[in-house]
Amino acid sequence: MSELDSELEDRLVRCFASVFPALSEDEIRAASADSSGVWDSLATVTLGAVIEEEFSVAIDPNVLPDLDSFKAFLACLRQAGVN
Amino acid sequence: MKLIQALEILRTPSGESDMRMKVLLAAGFTPLHLQTFLAAHLRSGSPQIVPEMQTGLYGDLAGTLERVDPAAAGAVVAVIEWSDLDPRLGMRTLGGWRPTDLAGIAQSAEASLGRVVRALAAIAERIPVVIVTPTLPLPPLFTTRGARTSAAEARLQRNLASAIEELAPVSGIRIVNPQALAQVSAPADRYDIKSDLNSGFPYTLAHAGALAEIIATLLRDRQPMKGLITDLDDTLWSGIVGDDGPDQISWSLDRHTQLHAIYQQMLASLAGAGVLIGVASKNDSAVVERAFEREDLLISKSDIYPFEVHWSAKSESVARILKAWNIGADSVVFVDDNPMELAEVKAAFPEMDCRLFPRNDYVATRRLFHDLRDAFGKHVVSSEDALRLESLRAAGAWRGDEESAAPVSDDFLAAAEAVLAFDCGLSPEDMRAFELINKTNQFNLNGNRLTESEWRKFFADPGAFMLTASYKDKFGPLGKIAVVLGRANGRRIEVSAWVMSCRAFSRRIEHQTLKFLFDQLGVEEIAFDYRSTPRNGPLTDILREQLGSAPAPGAILTKSHFLARIPALFHCVEVSVHV
Repeated sequence: MSELDSELEDRLVRCFASVFPALSEDEIRAASADSSGVWDSLATVTLGAVIEEEFSVAIDPNVLPDLDSFKAFLACLRQAGVN
Repeated sequence: MKLIQALEILRTPSGESDMRMKVLLAAGFTPLHLQTFLAAHLRSGSPQIVPEMQTGLYGDLAGTLERVDPAAAGAVVAVIEWSDLDPRLGMRTLGGWRPTDLAGIAQSAEASLGRVVRALAAIAERIPVVIVTPTLPLPPLFTTRGARTSAAEARLQRNLASAIEELAPVSGIRIVNPQALAQVSAPADRYDIKSDLNSGFPYTLAHAGALAEIIATLLRDRQPMKGLITDLDDTLWSGIVGDDGPDQISWSLDRHTQLHAIYQQMLASLAGAGVLIGVASKNDSAVVERAFEREDLLISKSDIYPFEVHWSAKSESVARILKAWNIGADSVVFVDDNPMELAEVKAAFPEMDCRLFPRNDYVATRRLFHDLRDAFGKHVVSSEDALRLESLRAAGAWRGDEESAAPVSDDFLAAAEAVLAFDCGLSPEDMRAFELINKTNQFNLNGNRLTESEWRKFFADPGAFMLTASYKDKFGPLGKIAVVLGRANGRRIEVSAWVMSCRAFSRRIEHQTLKFLFDQLGVEEIAFDYRSTPRNGPLTDILREQLGSAPAPGAILTKSHFLARIPALFHCVEVSVHV
């Protein structure tokens, strides 16, 4: 993993940690809506807003419901050219 | 503050001694991030406060407000947007924008606003309410071009303005000032249509954060500062009066020194609202006397007390002014154009708010004027505010006589022609009493401060009573100077708060107050919820004198003990009782 990729992941972990304070860093990296008992629709909206503000990106509301894991958000950010 | 920072602030664990603050955030939309920002601003502004946020029913602001249980909430924040007054004034509801619909929209908005106003007025009788009036733009439903105001829009705005005018004077209500909000959140950058349509949250994050910060400021509602000490040369006026002469100093448009005129006007306004204004100037006092004879000054000499005009250090002047006012440095703003003088005063009084008068910087000077209004702003100007300066001068005269014949003799007190008016009532609207409880330090039973919510709830207790005392003598009136809060319990009363203004010391008012409580309430014992604080020595001394020993929490004074120690009292006592 490049240094930039690592920095992107770390920033995303901080976003997740602000919304899911009970999860450890390892749990965040593996988090998904199915596996995490605290990930509901409100968390998705909050997470979307935090990430949009933090990375200065706009997430398509049609895509947001599909962003149901840490990995999915990471892929979305990479696709948007964030590094 | 960014959203991630707000969320991180809310992750801070709370301590056991932290105070829970229940806040109902009533909005017709999903409050989402506004709720997060508000909780974070409340927490970061007062780390010992742990906000417990509640929200209302989506799309039913009026109903949410009508269902509020004041006993279950500490405060209410009502966020009104146009769509709460008629859903057609928002983007999420499609009810029609035909020209023929406009009259009906205005009518239904008026009716909804009436419901909201009635509900808010009822809630404010019991708990504090912060109101946000529409912050978002009206949608393009009117038939005129956007740049042109239509009659239909003007009608909506007029009805809103009438509602604000009706609610603004109510003591429990604080309305967010749209002008202050516009300073920190540009109107064009507030609405997030994507978020509104997709999640029901209509604000941009920046707007939500800015609005939340202002709401939190109003919820905290700190006590205003009490006094302002000003320099003269190049501050109250432009020029050095000792060099230029009283006729050559200026404050006018013609001389390009209007900023000093505005400052004078500002100080006169503050003085009229009860703020103490003092002067600390390194000058020749005779020259300054002549300057104050100029008739075009916008602040009169009588608005200022005391004048400290000599060549000693500014910190010495400030110390003498504080002594004359008998207030703490943390309640005072010091304004001077000289950074060195500011630093010297700040070193002597670190808790004082020392402000530079930036005479060559128009923008910074304008900001200073706004900051002064913020520091001294109060909800209402009371009759006591108008009396404050006069009573301080009277206290100065009293002290002068006292010093010449110390200690205060019975003869002196007997000749003072003192009238003490006791008022026994249960009105939470007595904001002077509320102010005294929350700002008095020296004669204070325990230093406990009350939130407005706690204050209003106190009066709901069936056994509760409040006694206030107003005083005047031949030196002048002091106004309302003492408050006792307590509850009757058989032959005993339990006093939870007892405060008296320091301006009223040495007049045996405290003895007369105790006598009144024993005589008029027919009790045999008074139990005091006493607690020693770093500043309540004067109250402690009185209790020690009465009890015959150092007071302890829960100290009890019996009537027989009191009567055995009571000094001679000379007040003419007047009593009024309100049920």
